[in-house]
Amino acid sequence: MRSNPLSSMAIHGVLILYSALALFPLLLIAINSFKSKKGIFRDPTALPLGELYSTKGYQSVLANGDFPLYFGNSLTVTLISLVLILLLGAMAAHGLTEYRFKGNGLLGLYLILGIMVPIRLGTVALLELFVKLGLTNTLTALVLVYTAQGLPIAIFIFTEFLKSVSGEIKDSARIDGLSEYRIFFEVVLPLIRPVIATVAVFSMIPIWNDLWFPLILSPGEETRTVTLGIQQFIGQYTVNWSAVLAALTVAIVPVLIMYVIFSKQLIRGITAGAVKG
Amino acid sequence: MATLELNNVVKQFGQVEVIHDISLSVNDGELMVFVGPSGCGKSTMLRMIAGLEELTAGDIQIGGKKVDHLPPAKRGIAMVFQSYALYPHKDVRGNLGFALRHAGMPKAEVTQRVDAAADILGLGPLMKRRPSELSGGQRQRVAIGRAIVREPEVFLFDEPLSNLDAALRVHMRVEILKLHQRLKSTMIYVTHDQVEAMTLADRIAVFRDGVVEQCGTPLELYKNPANKFVAGFIGSPAMNFIDSNVVNGCAEHAGQAVINMPDGDSNHAKVSIGIRPEDVRVKPDGILSGTVQVYEHLGGEAYLHLLLQDDQNLVVRTDADSAYRIGDTVRFDVIDSKLHLFGENGVALPRQLTS
Amino acid sequence: MSHSIPSGSRWRWYIVFFVAPATLIYTVFAIYPIVESLRLSLFAERDAVEAFVGIDNYKKLFTEPYWADQFWNAFKNNVWLFVLHMLIQNPVALALAAILSIPNLRGAATYRTIFFLPTLLSVVVIGFIWQLILSPLWGITPAFMNFMGVGKFFAPWLGLESSALTAVTLISIWQYVGIPMMLFYAALLNIPEETLEAARIDGLNGWSIFWKVKLPLILPTLGLVGILTYIGNFTASFDLIYTLQGGLAGPNGSTDVMGTFMFRTFFGFQAQLGDVNMGATVASSLFFIILIGVSVYLFGVQRRLQRYQA
Repeated sequence: MRSNPLSSMAIHGVLILYSALALFPLLLIAINSFKSKKGIFRDPTALPLGELYSTKGYQSVLANGDFPLYFGNSLTVTLISLVLILLLGAMAAHGLTEYRFKGNGLLGLYLILGIMVPIRLGTVALLELFVKLGLTNTLTALVLVYTAQGLPIAIFIFTEFLKSVSGEIKDSARIDGLSEYRIFFEVVLPLIRPVIATVAVFSMIPIWNDLWFPLILSPGEETRTVTLGIQQFIGQYTVNWSAVLAALTVAIVPVLIMYVIFSKQLIRGITAGAVKG
Repeated sequence: MATLELNNVVKQFGQVEVIHDISLSVNDGELMVFVGPSGCGKSTMLRMIAGLEELTAGDIQIGGKKVDHLPPAKRGIAMVFQSYALYPHKDVRGNLGFALRHAGMPKAEVTQRVDAAADILGLGPLMKRRPSELSGGQRQRVAIGRAIVREPEVFLFDEPLSNLDAALRVHMRVEILKLHQRLKSTMIYVTHDQVEAMTLADRIAVFRDGVVEQCGTPLELYKNPANKFVAGFIGSPAMNFIDSNVVNGCAEHAGQAVINMPDGDSNHAKVSIGIRPEDVRVKPDGILSGTVQVYEHLGGEAYLHLLLQDDQNLVVRTDADSAYRIGDTVRFDVIDSKLHLFGENGVALPRQLTS
Repeated sequence: MSHSIPSGSRWRWYIVFFVAPATLIYTVFAIYPIVESLRLSLFAERDAVEAFVGIDNYKKLFTEPYWADQFWNAFKNNVWLFVLHMLIQNPVALALAAILSIPNLRGAATYRTIFFLPTLLSVVVIGFIWQLILSPLWGITPAFMNFMGVGKFFAPWLGLESSALTAVTLISIWQYVGIPMMLFYAALLNIPEETLEAARIDGLNGWSIFWKVKLPLILPTLGLVGILTYIGNFTASFDLIYTLQGGLAGPNGSTDVMGTFMFRTFFGFQAQLGDVNMGATVASSLFFIILIGVSVYLFGVQRRLQRYQA
């Protein structure tokens, strides 16, 4: 629309206002995490300069929390689950779209059922299963659950994408003499690279941020994820404001950095994926 | 280079039979075009030759050797696809050499063959580009190059030009023709475009509903179509068909005897007279007449769409310097020796020229 | 499953190779637990032995005051949560998406990035941040409200029975508005430019184009957002409430939802003992509630909306 400057100003006014609403809480926490307790209370909105500046909060986080360990756990769980979701999801989607076999349609439906039925509803039986398998308080348990949880949406998106891709390239590879296995790994995998980003985003965020399964399946000190670690840490230090704010900032910053680096691909992936869905 | 034999080939998808007992042989070095409307089975036939679909019955021989149990790569074929099917993550050189490297050919030989193919197709300056950085015509050339480097016994083309715009299509058609003259290899070319078929083919096989309606040189098909379908499919604009009653051994139109029935033919009461637009002569004392409904002027020639007296339609080619208006009555004669007759089942009746 | 070619009898092992791993993991760790939970809900522990009790557990859940009170309270709270999300989150998301999809809007990418940011952060982190900001102890919110001249309306909302649930819901909306926004945004971008040009030629202006052309065209997305909101409310709301209000979902159960109720029932909390079978019963009830919602969506809403698609 070729709008007049007035309505354009109103539009930007609204957008800036909402941006402030979205960013202010995060900035407030980050700013105050670098202040002493006194500074936090005396002047919450001031920048952490001069006598207000203090890293006491971060010192107590480092002293009392095992945050590097938690980060390691979260990273391990998220990355392994992600690789499994992407690989197994792409394999299944390829198998379902490329080959005619009995029960193909039903199997496809079965595999995407999980989009509508949250896996959390099976928690009771899941815990019993892991107790039987001796996998409680292991990262393996989390990886298995998150993989199972992420597969339906991954298979759905990959299937939709593969359906839209011409099958001729696979036939061409067959004529070039590739086996069915190599066709998948050397032709199909490179082909679906654009949607891998979408699926990765859809799968990664809920895994990294999940509280439910770490709390239930692996609450032990050694296997705590960042999300659970923060939750427990803050539970213990409710009065130590500097420490709480520092812990929150520690949890935000890595995600923020990742987001800034990847935001373009990420948002393109989400919008592209949403268009397909 | 080799001959290709199809013997009693049948293909079923589930309960549906899409290829009914087709037998065909392609000579060494011949360019055979499979033509027909979509869904006629021509592409399925090609995919069976390639080994991408299994045969339900029958067999396929390339160079006298049965190949229908062999995987595609072992049949001595190469295929060019409609969507080009280039590997998007490899550059032109990578695409051209992929099959050879995969087959374990020494690097030096791969390079030499790839360079030779690139030379033929003028791909030299593009070798480092990825498919996404190429135009449609360039992609098509890479796809052809990928087939050339394999030095196959038989080339298979599956509607390779249908994704190109009209001008480029004509250009690439000529290039494929030159390529065939240069390589002199056996080629099978699938298209739904009869102009492509006419201009490229040594021989054409016209497919319909899973059978080959007729197989022959372009001129044979044009001059002696075996049935109404082939007659209507080959030639542009398409042949006119005039429904006609047989009276006293003569096929009539609007009370005028148009053409004599073949000698001794007395078992047809109704026939279709096939008249190509180019076989009509407009002249003031012509015995037939019609009203102009549409007048298409193409510059070098013009076409009249006539409504005949009994509401049948006839397209007529005429001189470029003639002038007609809608509603004009036009008189014309037909060239007797170039008419075709078809029985009610669509099969062509043998013609003996009476003149 | 049988992976046989219709024409031959060769086994195509590669199909098994592609499909089996995903099917196996998914079946064992997603489908089996849900089915097993449904089974467990029909059993109870009698004298240390598991015994089949039919639908007794459900009867107990819906009629025995101790259970029924909690169940219906949690259910009612979930409904309120859903209603607020539908009334606030989704309209705001639609408005933001509509503004962002204005052609040639300067800085659209930046705004989009900012609006989506809270979605990426852990609910736990978001929960604590808002707890601090709303805390009367820190005084950020009262100070801000004083500045705006409405200071006398401040109350420790998260701590009051009357406002805690609404406050929690608003925090959740603040965090998640980015997801429906992106879905709407993608749908709006997906409308062909020519359709909008045709509308302009037909004499429609900005507002009427939005209401009469764009909105009907993105109705399927509206339906999708609706069902995603519904499912999310019944399952994902646990994280935020557990973080902010604890397992008892205080004050006095006023923020209790199906998620926290299920958690307490299964694991026990403080004096209450955990009960596997009742936990499974709550989960299964939730399963049926979601199933009803999804069925309504699939057979009612989606089918009717689909017709609008080009």
